[in-house]
Amino acid sequence: MKSEDNLLISLYHLVAKGRELERQMTRLPGFHPGVGEEAVVVGSFFGLGEHDFIAPHYRGALLAAHMRGAELRKLVAGVLGKATSYSRGRVRGDICLPLKFNTLGMFSGVLGNPLNISTGLALSSKMQARQGVVVTSFGEGTSNLGAFHESLNLASCLSLPIVYVCQNNGYAMSTRTEYALKCASVADRAAGYGMPGVEVDGNDVVAMHQAVQAAVAQARTGGGPTLIDARTYRISGHYSADANGYQPPDERAAWLKKDPLLRIKTTLQERGILGDSQIAEIEEAASREIAAAIEEAQADPDPTLEALGPDDLYCNAEMPEGTK
Amino acid sequence: MSQLTFQEAVVAGIAEEMDRDQRVFHLGQDIGPVYNGAMHSAKGLGERFGPARIIETPISEAAMMGAGIGAALGGMRPIVQIMFAEFLGLTVTPLACDAAAMWYKSDGQTCVPLVVRVLFGAGPHRGHSEDYQAWVASVPGIKVVMPSCPRDAKGLMKAAIRDNNPVVFFEHMGIYHGSRQEVPEDDAAIPLGKADIKRQGSDVTIVATALMVQHALKAAEQLEQEGVSVEVVDPRTIVPLDRETVLRSAAKTRRLVIASETWKTSDPLADLAATVAEELAGEAPIRIARVGLQDTPRPFAIPLVRAAMPGVQTIVETVRRVMEPK
Repeated sequence: MKSEDNLLISLYHLVAKGRELERQMTRLPGFHPGVGEEAVVVGSFFGLGEHDFIAPHYRGALLAAHMRGAELRKLVAGVLGKATSYSRGRVRGDICLPLKFNTLGMFSGVLGNPLNISTGLALSSKMQARQGVVVTSFGEGTSNLGAFHESLNLASCLSLPIVYVCQNNGYAMSTRTEYALKCASVADRAAGYGMPGVEVDGNDVVAMHQAVQAAVAQARTGGGPTLIDARTYRISGHYSADANGYQPPDERAAWLKKDPLLRIKTTLQERGILGDSQIAEIEEAASREIAAAIEEAQADPDPTLEALGPDDLYCNAEMPEGTK
Repeated sequence: MSQLTFQEAVVAGIAEEMDRDQRVFHLGQDIGPVYNGAMHSAKGLGERFGPARIIETPISEAAMMGAGIGAALGGMRPIVQIMFAEFLGLTVTPLACDAAAMWYKSDGQTCVPLVVRVLFGAGPHRGHSEDYQAWVASVPGIKVVMPSCPRDAKGLMKAAIRDNNPVVFFEHMGIYHGSRQEVPEDDAAIPLGKADIKRQGSDVTIVATALMVQHALKAAEQLEQEGVSVEVVDPRTIVPLDRETVLRSAAKTRRLVIASETWKTSDPLADLAATVAEELAGEAPIRIARVGLQDTPRPFAIPLVRAAMPGVQTIVETVRRVMEPK
């Protein structure tokens, strides 16, 4: 089998698993699912190295952390606040990820902070000359924040190794992109910072992967940051209980035809790389894996009050392992 | 030993730590060899360490704070200068909502060794004097340092850089280029969270930080002429606050005056009044009084500035009041 075929199969496996993860997690209350946006997540974070960092958008964060090595069951336990989660229930695990997988999450609910902080991760990568690159993603709504402007400008001034991926799903809660952004593409904003701005079909996982990898390669060799506008569509509601009735039916129907899972699957079938039965097998396996992780996490115990740690406010030790 | 100003002592502390640890670097606006930092707050560092470790940034405080936090997570030990405490507001969400919480929320898997430097205080600058210390002191997970003299400034800066948590380091402009003091040339850091008794006394305890320590010491000299023995306790760090030293002193004197340059409402030191009342008032009567900045925006004209904030005379009068028999 050709290596290109292998790449397509790997990407497909992840998009399929991501779909099941987002779909099944929607049943849990208060989750911010990303059905329809999996190709942006997979394309952005596939193929990175040991010294690279990611700071994913909260929508799709579990899939991103899993791609970096985090266990699904423990990630789901984090969403449920269980003792078995990576933080023993100290942080909401749907948006905050274990840093030991070089994956930065949100330690608060404030959008824009990860943009600022991931820019600092890129600064440390550059200073330590390990050639690590940072890939961070965020919604198009966040691209209106000062944090976006300040981060991109600073990254450009210091020529930092970072790739900014806008997971542009058309909606910031219920606010439509065309209302809140008066430029044709988020990528247009890159010109203001003197960095390349690239618009990509975010529902095409291969195109996403290629665009991000090109930007990563440029960043790794000292070429500085890139801004990518990944155009996709939020099939899910803003959170579990949001029925997104504000999406016009015609618009939604048109985007459903461009479903990223459907797209990669069709490519595999058309090229004869995978047959129908293999596809069914992969998707069923993904569904079972996610269902098992959720079931196990749900059965896991709540944290005991040992995790409360009233005196555990400061790090009094030498630098703990993993952050050196 | 060498005779240093507050500004020279802070810079000396930074330079020594940068020599000691290659992970330490400084990031800020105009801190390079052209300008040397606002009020010479980074004097000589740019020339000595070069642009790879003295990194100049555009005006973008939130990104600067984020850059410091992220670099700390990546294994560096950044010092971020936000220039004036007034600008802390621009940085509060990455600092207070995220960085302050990382050690606890990650269950000890990550920490943020970050020093944030800010200038503040009524002084020659005629502006930028607000400290807004309550903004950072009220959030668990941020340490807050406010030295009153060159010797403490150097030792506390060294401790702040060696600390594994976010530390906001307040540098008072009114004492920045003031009188020199013998400052040790050794490698000693002054532990954060440990108060210093700046003057021993037996009748009344004054707790004060930064410029107010100097005012309190002058007030103590004046009061000595009147036969009043004043103990001056300088907590040096507002968070963590050395309650034990204050309690020991107040248990002895049974009179406590808290002198702050910040607004009386939500003054972090005001919490000491509650602690002392809780711990000591049950045993025997105890007198407590507070002086602070009047609860309005800071006025501009010099006579108004002086009248709005505590001076030596305000402190003297407040001590006399708590000395009066009830």
